[in-house]
Amino acid sequence: MIFALWLLPFAGALAIWAFGPQLKRLAGALGAATVLTSFAIALALAGQTFTGRGVKAPLVSWAQGFSFGLLLDPLSLLWVFVITGVGGLIHVYSIGYMSGDRAFARFFAYMNFFVFAMLTLVLSDNFVGLLVGWGLVGLASYFLIGFWFFKPSAVAAARKAFVINVVGDIGLMFGIFVLFAATHTTTYAGVFAKAGSLAPLTVTLACFGLFVACAAKSAQLPLHTWLPDAMEGPTPVSALIHAATMVTAGVYLIARCAPLWDVSPEARALVGTIGALTALTGAVLGCVQWDIKRILAYSTMSQIGYMIMGVGVGAYQAGILHFYTHAFFKATLFLGAGILIHALHDEQDVRKMGGLARRQPFAFWAMTVGTLAIIGFPGLSGFFSKDAVIYGTLEHGYPLLYAIGMVTAGITAYYMCRMLFVTFFGSYRGDVPSAQLGVAASTNPPVAHEAPSGHEGAHAPAWLMQVPVALLMIPSVIAGYVWFGSRDGPLAYGGPGSLWFGYFTTNFATRAEAVQAAVPEWLSTVLVLALVGIGAFVAYRRYAASAASANAVERLRAESLTAWRPLTRALYFDDAIELVFVRPASAIGAAFARVVDPQVLDGAVRDVAWLAGWLGREMRALQTGLVRGYALVVVLGVAGFLVYFAWFGTVR
Amino acid sequence: MIATLIVVPILAAVLLLLLPRRAEGTAKWIGVAISFLAFFATIGLAGAPDESVRWLQRPFTANFHVGLGHGLSYWIVLLLTLSTGCALMATNVPRRRDFVAQMLFLLGAMAGVFLARDLVLFALFWDLMLIPVFFILLGWGPERSNSAWRYLLYNVTGGVALLLAVAAYGVLEGSTDLIGASLGHGASVVGNGWGLWIFAGFAFAFAIKTPVWPFHTWMPATYVDLPAPAVAVVSAVQSKAGLYGFIAIVLPLLPEQVQAAAGIMFVLGLVALVYGAVVALVQDDAKSIVAYSSLSHLGLIVLGIFSGNALALGGAAVYVIAHGLFSAGLFLAIDQFETREGSRSLKRLGGLGARNPKLAGGLTIVALAALGLPGLCGFAGEILILTGLYASGNVWPAVIALVPIVLAAAYMLRLFQDVMQGPEVADVPQRPDLTLLELLALAPLVVAIVLLGVNPGPVAGSANVQSAVSLVQGTR
Amino acid sequence: MSPMPVDVLNYVLLSAVMFFIGVGGVILRRNPLIVLMAIELMFNAANLALIAFSRVYENNAGHIFAFLVITVAAAEAAIGLAIVVVVFRRAKHVDVDDVAGLHG
Repeated sequence: MIFALWLLPFAGALAIWAFGPQLKRLAGALGAATVLTSFAIALALAGQTFTGRGVKAPLVSWAQGFSFGLLLDPLSLLWVFVITGVGGLIHVYSIGYMSGDRAFARFFAYMNFFVFAMLTLVLSDNFVGLLVGWGLVGLASYFLIGFWFFKPSAVAAARKAFVINVVGDIGLMFGIFVLFAATHTTTYAGVFAKAGSLAPLTVTLACFGLFVACAAKSAQLPLHTWLPDAMEGPTPVSALIHAATMVTAGVYLIARCAPLWDVSPEARALVGTIGALTALTGAVLGCVQWDIKRILAYSTMSQIGYMIMGVGVGAYQAGILHFYTHAFFKATLFLGAGILIHALHDEQDVRKMGGLARRQPFAFWAMTVGTLAIIGFPGLSGFFSKDAVIYGTLEHGYPLLYAIGMVTAGITAYYMCRMLFVTFFGSYRGDVPSAQLGVAASTNPPVAHEAPSGHEGAHAPAWLMQVPVALLMIPSVIAGYVWFGSRDGPLAYGGPGSLWFGYFTTNFATRAEAVQAAVPEWLSTVLVLALVGIGAFVAYRRYAASAASANAVERLRAESLTAWRPLTRALYFDDAIELVFVRPASAIGAAFARVVDPQVLDGAVRDVAWLAGWLGREMRALQTGLVRGYALVVVLGVAGFLVYFAWFGTVR
Repeated sequence: MIATLIVVPILAAVLLLLLPRRAEGTAKWIGVAISFLAFFATIGLAGAPDESVRWLQRPFTANFHVGLGHGLSYWIVLLLTLSTGCALMATNVPRRRDFVAQMLFLLGAMAGVFLARDLVLFALFWDLMLIPVFFILLGWGPERSNSAWRYLLYNVTGGVALLLAVAAYGVLEGSTDLIGASLGHGASVVGNGWGLWIFAGFAFAFAIKTPVWPFHTWMPATYVDLPAPAVAVVSAVQSKAGLYGFIAIVLPLLPEQVQAAAGIMFVLGLVALVYGAVVALVQDDAKSIVAYSSLSHLGLIVLGIFSGNALALGGAAVYVIAHGLFSAGLFLAIDQFETREGSRSLKRLGGLGARNPKLAGGLTIVALAALGLPGLCGFAGEILILTGLYASGNVWPAVIALVPIVLAAAYMLRLFQDVMQGPEVADVPQRPDLTLLELLALAPLVVAIVLLGVNPGPVAGSANVQSAVSLVQGTR
Repeated sequence: MSPMPVDVLNYVLLSAVMFFIGVGGVILRRNPLIVLMAIELMFNAANLALIAFSRVYENNAGHIFAFLVITVAAAEAAIGLAIVVVVFRRAKHVDVDDVAGLHG
């Protein structure tokens, strides 16, 4: 069963890849069907997961200490649910979204391949298998970012994403080296059994390597720069890979390696701090974006920062809960944005939108639910999870991170409401010339769909895109209630969530050193809500109040032109990477290719050849050609030998 | 029977010359048939007993001793026959009859290198395998290029060193019948004084052949000038002769010297690893990129061989095969777009993937294997080598060796994307996608890349490798 | 077999004298025919020594070698004369110092 769960999407990918031209429109249905079947299998297996120590299946063995197997335990089950469940819905949505694209089948082959890769990642029972999945999801992400490979910007974004993810891969490899050298095994069970007896430095080194991997995959500072660019891919890709599943792999890894993090305070401090800074940076950068997908991308980066902060400091349940709720509401947001982009013929700039609440009521409600959830509106899913993360940092003794988390919550409310208001409120600005809105003329011309737009009749029915979004809106609202009943939630034991979320968190021992927080939880919640309210109110005043709507065009233009340059340049991270790594590597390579190889190394070889030639020129004088002279030399040589032997005795 | 793997291709090469000059298609299919027959014969002969005929008694014992076993020899001969078959299948070079004859001669000579169980025999085939490559460079390389002479001079210099080392070893030890089956031999009487010289001779020959930095400058020129089928085989298999020599000859016969020289070889391997990667980063010729990436990858194998760690050595064996598979695939794929578009310059080409999805797909997989994508064969070798390195206490080499992995991703993607993706270049004709035959030529390599990537266990555990390690470790 | 009437030293000395006459002929004379004859003289000096020692040690290897040397000498003379004829045809006169085409 577990093999079917794992390999069905792969079989789907192969089938679509091989028979795409024959399958035509059926490719999408086949892709969605395989993923949803996997979801059904996961549901069927859930019971076994809860009762035993998980479902196991051995695979192959490469060498001593390198044996592979599958493991479905509560932690991986949660991810499998999200991957196949949300993934299946996004597949259905994509049938509608991609209906006009020439490479329809190729898209689903890639998407199914991604689901398979992600399942490999979470189902592996060892670090090397994890790394295989880790690399394969990176590849799927690369394929899908560069899906429209005739766009130079998409090609560049895909390459950037892949290379930065390889940086993460080598971090993970380093972690494996350290753990293997210390424990001579790569399986989770084997490593974690010895986690307590390892030297602290070893564990910290390993955690550092693993965290480099998390940072690259989950877009944490300073390896986050690929994520905003990754929005070059089709919108369903952004929803599935760059919001709901792949980018949360880092959260999974840290949660999986909780036994290591538990014994390394340095690793907790490092990861918590990076997570908090990423949350803050993402939120701040989200405030100056105009592309609707880039806003969502920065918000993803920020929310993953929250998750990483949560699992990093030891509040595993909170971090995982936030992953779980975020998967729903961020998918809702992206898919809602996708409906807008689809309807507006690939327009992604919010300045060219406005007043869409009446024209696109369904998208409006979806985005509103998503936004309320992400900013933590009381009662929606994000409220529980974000609150749990923020309070978790305080409980585990990181007051500074707590403060950053609170501030970030306020900023989140601001930029998300800003997006909502600019997009849906006021009046439609699609026909206002770009220059008047401050939209730079040189933005990449969207060539998204190859089929000429305007064939409205060719489009798939609207429900194909609306039903998945509607289905995702439900958990966006209610998913947070599973928090009641998890072990250290407010209503511990017996609540509605204890059946499954509570169970799945029992794997995490609550660390004894968790300190008593100075602030009671209710007060903390009130404080967060106040900051959220302030953020939302500021956004309302700036973008939605009647004074703002009246001269929206001028205000947007002014804001575009006067934005603080370091923010619009994304704090110069890209420029720094270019300056410190890319250019020097190219310069050194060019120097080697032009100087060292031809001059130094070949030069040395040429010197040897010249030496031989010189010797020959010098010695040619001896070669007289006179036979009698040669004979004389022979005689003299023989005479010399005779004298030598006469003088010094016999041969030996 | 094992000897037929050597004799039949060489005989066939001679007999091909009896065919009329215009029988190009026939010649090609004879070549393909013999290569694949040899491939299946090798599988059938796995584990067959060695065959030995007495040969020399003075000044030392040397036998015409060939063997296959289950070890590294077996896997390399499989790689050799497979890559030769694939390379010949889609070839369309001019004067094909003569070309196929040269390739079959190369096949036989290289089979001899990897099947020889006697040092003299090994050295004999070692020099023999240079000849066809030299003639191919002369006959099919570009005019007014000196790469043929460069190749010959470098490699013959190495061959002389090898011959001297073999002779010295034979005189001191009394017998050269040592490789493979007698790996347990080990009772080397070579003293340290001569041992270092003999090691130096072997190492010099193997380092030139591999090539190890700084003996590599013949390699990019040769690879660029050789026609694709030949370069696929030369880079896939012939460059492995040096690494095979290190694993099968130097490690078991001269363990103390290996220990003594490990430091130097580590430095050379690391330099090659980084150097090749950064140079590959700035090349514009697709073949040059692959050539320099080979320098980088082979440096990694050298690290694995000299680490004295069983895991790393197993990884080295895997990577030897893996590199053979993906470099053959890369050169064949490059040839396919070069023959289509008349160029292999990254600056000139672009957007070919739109009209050539099959070619793009094939190039994707081999390039991904080359950049070490987890799940394909390159990764399997890499992770085993590096983990073994780190676990054996060579922390810094392992850490430094991680950097070129990122560089590999950068240059391989650059190669793939600049040729296949982006907007289509207007003045480059977009010719049709791969024919079925061309696809069939790539398919076996791709299948092997995936299979080896999923389960490298049999190769990593080759019997030779394990006993070599126990020998090396025994001296610690 | 009666003991040898002549001491072996005499043979060796005669052989040495013949050999050095031959050497002198090769080095000093410029007529190739004379040079060839001088070389024959050296061969025969060697033969004399071989046979003398063969008798002393009562071992037939020396005789065998002497036959071998005679064969080689015959072959050498044949080739040498042929070369002389060819050179004479080209240059119309023969002098070993004029045949110096191999000078560097």
